[in-house]
Amino acid sequence: MNEQLSDRTSIYLQISEMIETDILRGVLLEEEQVPSTNELARLYTINPATAGKGVNLLVDQGILYKKRGIGMFVAAGAREKILRKRRQAFVTTHIAPLLAEARSLGITRAELIGMIKEEQS
Amino acid sequence: MKLTCQDIVKTYGGKNALDGVSLTLESGKIYGLIGRNGAGKTTLLSILTAQNPATAGSVTLDGAPVWENRQALDQLCFSRELNINAESGLASMKVKDYLRLASVYYPHWDRALEERLVALFDLPVKKKLQKLSKGMLSMVTIVVAMASKAPFTFLDEPVAGLDVVAREQFYQLLLEEYGQSGRTFLISTHIIEEAAGVLEEVIILHDGKVLTVADTQELVDSARYVTGLAEEVDAATAGLEVHHAARTGRSKSAAVFLKPGQDLAPGHDVTVQPMNLQKIFVALCSGEGE
Repeated sequence: MNEQLSDRTSIYLQISEMIETDILRGVLLEEEQVPSTNELARLYTINPATAGKGVNLLVDQGILYKKRGIGMFVAAGAREKILRKRRQAFVTTHIAPLLAEARSLGITRAELIGMIKEEQS
Repeated sequence: MKLTCQDIVKTYGGKNALDGVSLTLESGKIYGLIGRNGAGKTTLLSILTAQNPATAGSVTLDGAPVWENRQALDQLCFSRELNINAESGLASMKVKDYLRLASVYYPHWDRALEERLVALFDLPVKKKLQKLSKGMLSMVTIVVAMASKAPFTFLDEPVAGLDVVAREQFYQLLLEEYGQSGRTFLISTHIIEEAAGVLEEVIILHDGKVLTVADTQELVDSARYVTGLAEEVDAATAGLEVHHAARTGRSKSAAVFLKPGQDLAPGHDVTVQPMNLQKIFVALCSGEGE
């Protein structure tokens, strides 16, 4: 949870994305407790209600779960769930903007596929 | 608890400083009050806390008028911006005496918190207020606001004159106190972007009127900055709430506020960017709206 907030999208979405990224990277492990909304609020200097909205989004998706009176925990299978979700979103988040930019530059599909094949990284 | 003001008018020398302001502040929220210089922010805060009578309108706490009502006033704290000048009776008062005065006035005063904050800010308690820098005077007002422990606490420009580290310290302190106590805070500030994330609701005051009261994140989420060829921008934004439209040659820019369920018309070659609270404020208050 060391990223910085930006203006690019809603703060609560950024909070939930950061928690997801930490789960993907193994910063947060399954069945481990995540920071409380008050801790998140102070970490990012944001309103606790906003932090709570980000956390609840992940609870709704079964990525986090609540232990009453203790706090929020990473659910078993959370990492797999996030991977699946991000792969599904990959077309919208990465491929579509790539195609749009290619179109406005007059790059054809065939040229684009050629470029992807050539790219080593 | 609920603090409500209704149809507040305040006239100074035949001019309306406040012109029909109605608001309800609920318990357990951090509110932001933003507006240009002279918009009426300080006047509104002083009327909400009965430090200044309204020309017309009412201020009530859970239905009871706050004016000359000790029980209601005990729940409120307005930590004013300290403007010390030679004529001010406060000029020769020492910091510690000012804090003592506050501790007597506010019934829920937290002495331990006062001492902790005085140490944190390294405030020179034996100095006279007139010897303090603008930033240090702001720190004094922050100590009073926090230590008052009032369920409704109003801070007028608490970060004015503070450096960026002290401003960050203030917001951390605010979140800590808010997290522990659930008190209601209302903060006015000109440094909008630093406060934006902390404010659950934002009140925009313009020319003595409430322009907007909104959930800060929802307001930010609803705003789009659209640029491109003027005809394309017009087509993409047709029928939507547009502010601050500006043309430069063939290009046009427009701030758009989407209502729930609305979106820009698809299929137009325009650039769409998010707007932060400060840009939204400028778009709403710079007086060039359509």
